[in-house]
Amino acid sequence: MKAVGARLPRYDGVAHVTGRTTYVDDVRVPGTLWTKALRSPVDHADITGLDLSKAEKMKGVQAVITWKDVPLLEYGHLSALGIPADEPLLAKENVRYKGQPIALVAAEDEETAQAAVEAIGLDLDEKPALFDVRKAFDADAPKVHDWGNWYPHFEGEMDRRQIRKGSIDEAFEQADLIVQGVYRPAAIEHVPIETQVCQVVPEADGRLTIYSCTQALYFSMGVVAAHLQLPLNKLKFVGGTVGGGFGGKVDTATETMCSLLALKSGRPVKWRWTREEEFLCSSTRAPWHMEIADAVTTDGWILGRKMLTLHDSGAYARFSPYGLTKHSFHHTGAYTIPHLEFDGYVVFTNRVPTTAMRGFGVTSVSFAAETHMSRIALELGLDPFEIRMKNANRKGDTSPNGIAYTDPSTIPTIQAVADELGHELSADYRTATSEPRTGEWLPEHLVGQLGDPEGH
Amino acid sequence: MKLTVNGVQHTIGAAPLTPLLHVLREELGITSPKAGCQQGGCGSCTVLVGGAPRRACLLPIAALDGAEVTTVEGLGTAEALSPIQAAFHEHYAAQCGFCTSGMVIAAHGYLEGGGSSERESIQKALAGHVCRCTGYVKIIDAVEAAAGGEVVANQRWLPQPGEEAPVEIPGAPA
Repeated sequence: MKAVGARLPRYDGVAHVTGRTTYVDDVRVPGTLWTKALRSPVDHADITGLDLSKAEKMKGVQAVITWKDVPLLEYGHLSALGIPADEPLLAKENVRYKGQPIALVAAEDEETAQAAVEAIGLDLDEKPALFDVRKAFDADAPKVHDWGNWYPHFEGEMDRRQIRKGSIDEAFEQADLIVQGVYRPAAIEHVPIETQVCQVVPEADGRLTIYSCTQALYFSMGVVAAHLQLPLNKLKFVGGTVGGGFGGKVDTATETMCSLLALKSGRPVKWRWTREEEFLCSSTRAPWHMEIADAVTTDGWILGRKMLTLHDSGAYARFSPYGLTKHSFHHTGAYTIPHLEFDGYVVFTNRVPTTAMRGFGVTSVSFAAETHMSRIALELGLDPFEIRMKNANRKGDTSPNGIAYTDPSTIPTIQAVADELGHELSADYRTATSEPRTGEWLPEHLVGQLGDPEGH
Repeated sequence: MKLTVNGVQHTIGAAPLTPLLHVLREELGITSPKAGCQQGGCGSCTVLVGGAPRRACLLPIAALDGAEVTTVEGLGTAEALSPIQAAFHEHYAAQCGFCTSGMVIAAHGYLEGGGSSERESIQKALAGHVCRCTGYVKIIDAVEAAAGGEVVANQRWLPQPGEEAPVEIPGAPA
């Protein structure tokens, strides 16, 4: 254990401070073509015409690709986990968000590539767009997705992520008070200082060398191989040096399209997004809509929680079904609530697809759950630290999805926060531990609800 | 036109409005300044022109005939880091590293100009440099340490010739 507790030098620190770290944009390959994308200028439309003839004839243009050039057009980010594909690599019949890629040009230089993109004829039949998840369920709402306005393929072909635990009716009957809240954290752009960037080199042996800024190298490799219908041994990924990701570089945003351009032109190809593209077209953290109603007692116990979550997925599913599943498992926060009724929907809107960002799916619900704890304390006139510790997870308590906690840390964490803030805890709470519930810490509503503190 | 970069004089044939950043990266192969936004907003392309920090993405090459440009490549080497480079390494001021070149060169210019170790003054000097990893605290720690003359024996962190990597870790329990 030489490393634990020691100040270790960063293995890449010296390279960073001397400017010698080679990011994808710093790779130099002679003869590299520059890439620009034709992206949807509107939020929602049918594509009625696409004319490449002028662009293809321009001097310096080496390859133009559309959906017709993609061997497997739709491959979902989580296809390998059984979540079906829904997003075409390049738009085919319609566009569902502003900035969706429709065609790409590889040309001798950036200016030529941009001029060729502007020379592509694009006819659109614009349709009404949906931006508010709360309106997605209305009969007259714009229809965003072939699947409907929310994801219908959870296990058992359920159209929601659902959790039922205990008896929610019983909890609400026994409650002294119902405390309600609505929580709506907004979308956040990751803003890595390195925008999305990729360099692909077609090698003489028929393989592709792909310099990628992905956060998930082997994952991206699988996505590219699937779209291209190539075996993995035809792809050599070079990665691991990421100029900031924060979740935004889990999506395979550039590698497949650059590979197609390299194969079609036979030349090395590079694509670096502008800052405008990064802001307007790259995926963001999702906006969430969360409604909580808790059945509480005047002395601060939470008997039951009803919760509705609408997770704004943007125009396609990507990782959202997975994010919502994590969200549902954490919807009681760090606290034990025995009676639960949770319904969560992955809702499609005409926004840019949303994705992972630091604590994917959980950050949103932590914000909601913690704010709600403080709201309960305020409504009951109780200490916000003590109401948290009262309901805090202990050994043997069970999570919303029925897993017994073996090493919960809620109580020591809250004690540490109280210490840092100089908040005086009463004696009972000062000496509380995470050990299994007994005595006053085991109220009637939790009897019979506990799991095995040694694990399940 | 002539341009001196890190003490080496170059003859530049680029069109007059070509940004200095493009000349450095694409013509001279000096890649430490980064194309983070190319509109003067992020600071990752910062270089010193005549000792003053400038955004290379906004500077047309025509305005720089005879100028002296310094990039991070012109500071210390891996074997002998400059004080500000050593301080950034020592204080973990670089995470993903993409903004680091701009930060380091701006901080170097600040120190060369007699900048103080006051944190407020350092913040002012680095205003407009965007970092999404660190939260800035460690960056300001590093500049503060360097401004205060802290000597960092960072070379100890590099495996020396004949020494097996990884080197012995200072402060590690036996």
